[in-house]
Amino acid sequence: MLNYLIKRLLWMIPMLIGISLISFFIMHLAPGDITASESAFNPKASEESRQKLRALYNLDKPLMTQYSLWLKRIVKLDFGNSFASHQRPVLWETKDAKGNISKGMIQDALPITLMINLIGLLIIFALSIFLGVVSAVNQNRWPDRLITIIVFIGFAVPGFWLALLLMYWTGVTHSWLPISGLHSAGFEKMGHFEQYIDLFKHLILPVSISCLGGLASISLYVRNGMLDVLQQDYITTARAKGLPENKIIYRHALRNTLLPLITIIGLSIPGLIGGSVIGESIFAISGMGKLFFDAVLMRDFPVVMGILTIGSVLTLFGNLIADIGYAWADPRIRRGISN
Amino acid sequence: MKKIIQNPLALGGLIIIVAVLFVAIFAPWLSPYDPNYIDITSILLPPSFSHLMGTDGLGRDVFSRMLYGSRISLLVGFVAVGIATLIGTFLGAIAGFYRGYIDSIIMRFVDIMLSIPTFFLILAVIAFLTPSIWNIMIVIGFTSWMGVTRLVRAEFLSLRNREYILAAEAMGASDFRLISKHLLPNSLTPIIVSSVLGIASAVLTESGLSFLGLGVQAPQSSWGNILTDGKEYIQFAWWLSLFPGLAILITVLGYNLLGEGLRDLLDPKNKNQKK
Repeated sequence: MLNYLIKRLLWMIPMLIGISLISFFIMHLAPGDITASESAFNPKASEESRQKLRALYNLDKPLMTQYSLWLKRIVKLDFGNSFASHQRPVLWETKDAKGNISKGMIQDALPITLMINLIGLLIIFALSIFLGVVSAVNQNRWPDRLITIIVFIGFAVPGFWLALLLMYWTGVTHSWLPISGLHSAGFEKMGHFEQYIDLFKHLILPVSISCLGGLASISLYVRNGMLDVLQQDYITTARAKGLPENKIIYRHALRNTLLPLITIIGLSIPGLIGGSVIGESIFAISGMGKLFFDAVLMRDFPVVMGILTIGSVLTLFGNLIADIGYAWADPRIRRGISN
Repeated sequence: MKKIIQNPLALGGLIIIVAVLFVAIFAPWLSPYDPNYIDITSILLPPSFSHLMGTDGLGRDVFSRMLYGSRISLLVGFVAVGIATLIGTFLGAIAGFYRGYIDSIIMRFVDIMLSIPTFFLILAVIAFLTPSIWNIMIVIGFTSWMGVTRLVRAEFLSLRNREYILAAEAMGASDFRLISKHLLPNSLTPIIVSSVLGIASAVLTESGLSFLGLGVQAPQSSWGNILTDGKEYIQFAWWLSLFPGLAILITVLGYNLLGEGLRDLLDPKNKNQKK
């Protein structure tokens, strides 16, 4: 197991270098100069001051030098400061000479996106296992047909459209739910309990939207996996033994179906992070997606590169955890690795 | 073909796809108005017989704009998937055929591309290019080939040592001939299935980008940007938001149904499930 872990960790080094290369060069191959867009808002910016800006951000050096300078800094987890947004640090808080702390942009945004997606994942897990099992057990009867139809529609609904309609319907016509942000005005003055209720209300819509795609694909996966497993000889054996159907389904079939799900969850992380752009923009939630979108529009190179890198690193770690989880959960692999 | 008709999923999908294709091809003849004609005397009219889906904030006929929008969505879907399939098949074929270090390099590259959140990558590139329909197709194509590569490679690896391939090789067939005449035709199933499903996700991506204002630009209409316009008027003109979303939903549904249906039909492993 330990060997496997070490091998797996070592593999991440070339992967990380590849990711950093792609994030860096995509940003720099694009035409368009950061100094042009900054000075566009400031008619007084002279050619001379632009030169200074370029020198400050090393934009005047050759591309390879820029990359190695950037790489040297990100190894120390220093993603630099934002071009826009008052020079805030991209990743983590820093103290200036006067002792003022300015918080990192990703430091603020990441927990929000993680919270929404983790809650989403839990819901996806619970609901899709239920739907998938019901569907498989009733194969080709009406519950299966109904669930399959719902799943396919859930797969096809554009999330932003549903978000818009739900926002309008629950927020504007009926005022049931808040439609933007994560906190109401006066959040600080509320008691602890009220704060949770307030946060919960704000989370209902964004979390539901973030679940949509995953819910559909994973229920379909659980259904097909269950159907496959139910064909296996050991299920026939269990039936022949006279085990109650409930026990067969939940003890024998479901467990074996769920194993590969660990990997699927790992693979779905980049989609979840990427999908946060539209949801967070619509609901005005300042998570990673919105931060990224705003940074892209303002051509804020350090923030865009920082988020691309951090997002990919998160994915790598997600996959690592999924692989380890899989190895830990599956006795066949667990033994195989330790041998 | 007969089998497709017997499979309700695939048949449903096929009907939807043919209908949307029909609409897209004959848009100029089907649309009652010029999609870009601005008529200030009929702003934000609700659906009626003269304007089946109402009019937008500039008095343009939404029905006509929807018809023309279907062309954009399908064009983006087809071209983007075409690009992705070409790249994916090419790299997958090379990796699966030559194996060894070429395979390792290609597959590690696939792993790296897969671990960068795709929508971030697309946004980053699109935002620095001028948003246009061509750039969108290219960017979606270049960021969605990884799945095809894995499929084609896996298929090649499993076919590579079959007797008929070895026989052809022994008879002196060139690598190119082996790949194009023997291996590729036998790997078509997964390629077709993943292309059909790919179109669905490309249509969704395009509409999402257009919705964010980084996709197809006005005055050209796409379902995504009709919806963006609709967002502004959602309180008094529901029809502007409802119809484009429904159109996207139905189209994506069609491709997903056909894709999954084909997978069921063409995958020999699934046959025993049908018992």
